[in-house]
Amino acid sequence: MKPANQVIGRVLRSGISVLAAIIVGGATIGFAQESVSVRATLMTGGVPVDDPNAAAWSTAPPATFPMSPQVHWQNRIQEVTVKDVIVRALHDGKQVAVLVEYTDPTQDPDDAAALEFMVGDKKAHFAHGQPMLQVEGGPVNIWFWKNKTGKAVDMNAKGFGTLKAQEHQDVKAKGVYSNGTWKVVFSRELSTGHAEEDVQITPGQFINVAFAVWDGRKDGAGDLVEKGSQKAVSSWWYFRADAPPDYSGYMYAAIAAALALGFQFVLIRKLKKGQSA
Amino acid sequence: MGALGKPIILMVGMYAFLKFVLPNIPGSAPLPSSLIFLYLLLTASGIVIFETLSGESKDAFWGPIQRFLTGENIGGLQALRYGVFILFPLLVGWQTYGSTAVSDLPPTESRTIHPAPPGEYTGLSNPVPKTPENIMQGKGFYAAYCSPCHGGNFDGKGPAARGYIPAPANFADPTTIAMLQESYLFWRIKKGGIGLPIEGAPWKSAMPRWEVELPDEWIWKIIMGEYDGAHQSPRTWE
Repeated sequence: MKPANQVIGRVLRSGISVLAAIIVGGATIGFAQESVSVRATLMTGGVPVDDPNAAAWSTAPPATFPMSPQVHWQNRIQEVTVKDVIVRALHDGKQVAVLVEYTDPTQDPDDAAALEFMVGDKKAHFAHGQPMLQVEGGPVNIWFWKNKTGKAVDMNAKGFGTLKAQEHQDVKAKGVYSNGTWKVVFSRELSTGHAEEDVQITPGQFINVAFAVWDGRKDGAGDLVEKGSQKAVSSWWYFRADAPPDYSGYMYAAIAAALALGFQFVLIRKLKKGQSA
Repeated sequence: MGALGKPIILMVGMYAFLKFVLPNIPGSAPLPSSLIFLYLLLTASGIVIFETLSGESKDAFWGPIQRFLTGENIGGLQALRYGVFILFPLLVGWQTYGSTAVSDLPPTESRTIHPAPPGEYTGLSNPVPKTPENIMQGKGFYAAYCSPCHGGNFDGKGPAARGYIPAPANFADPTTIAMLQESYLFWRIKKGGIGLPIEGAPWKSAMPRWEVELPDEWIWKIIMGEYDGAHQSPRTWE
């Protein structure tokens, strides 16, 4: 019987290696990821809404997004100061804070930054939710911070020229400038009572976010170079607040393993019975 | 040996072919592991059907497997048998865990790059005569209005392009304007990013709606300048 045993041995060994190769091959797919989303890390204790230099920020992975001068609509601008923004986010299940960091050689009163989100289920064009010609799009929610005022304005827009501050201001912001770098923290409750106007952040779900920055420098004539629609903008990216840890996957795995074990016993019993009969 | 050896060689050979040979055939690409798994499954079921066609081949095929599983007279393979019994449930558990785990990847975007234009824009022909002067003028307009994003070399690498995803079209690439008709460009330039239909979502195109700023004649001249500058010709149906 020896040859048969060897054959079986070979069979099983190669079978297992093929299976292992498939599993390993499958597991490596889809891990190469550039910055396409901001991940708000779940933390306990208060979110550092007032402190862009808090130690807690080091637990949030940074995501870098390229910026362009706004050219979609008049008035355009051909060149802007800020080329990239680095974004981190934290949440504690109740509040969310987004830290936007970028290089700006000078601190000016008119330095400003903004976050933009889609509101509700309707898609929106990234440029202020410009109305689409063929499809009905939705509005955007804009969180705007300006150095001069030192606070945030919670706004809505559905196209250029429609920007309007909301009646209920839910967003806070705090900017700190040092060594040629702005760090601005925007914060809000994850959800508000105004789903028509405010983005609602549900942990575990991806939403769309975009960024804008104004360098408040002045030209030789004393006029602002970047103002209004003349700003640095980003495309739409994703934002997701981490869901609380979910251990149900382990439970399902245990059930599946137990079922497989049971199947083995039944199968072998059946086979043994068949042999003896 | 025959009844089990051949199927094993076949399975291993098939896997090696799908994984290492097929991706290297020109025009092919690496297969996703799910597809390889499916092909191997089909191969395996084919083998089982073939081997169980006659009673004899069936016994020769199943016999050794059955003996291994029941552990009868397999001597030194007993340890391997227990190994399989322990490993199999663990593998099933692992796979189940992997398939229930929440993905960290954002939703996939299935954007149609060149969605169909509205009916009134199909088949329009360029009303501007193709003279050197008009082409030159078109290139001038292009430099003023289009080159900040689409680039002075018509390659989509203008100074304002970096933050825009999808990147501004590279007209020198044969898969952009070379496979489109002039009427299509006329529509995209006129209506811009906000003229895209639902299948053009996510709406990230920063393309301006030039109809509010430029007369049609200028747009037709820009189209001419674009094709000439990028060394491409418009697609025609002839």
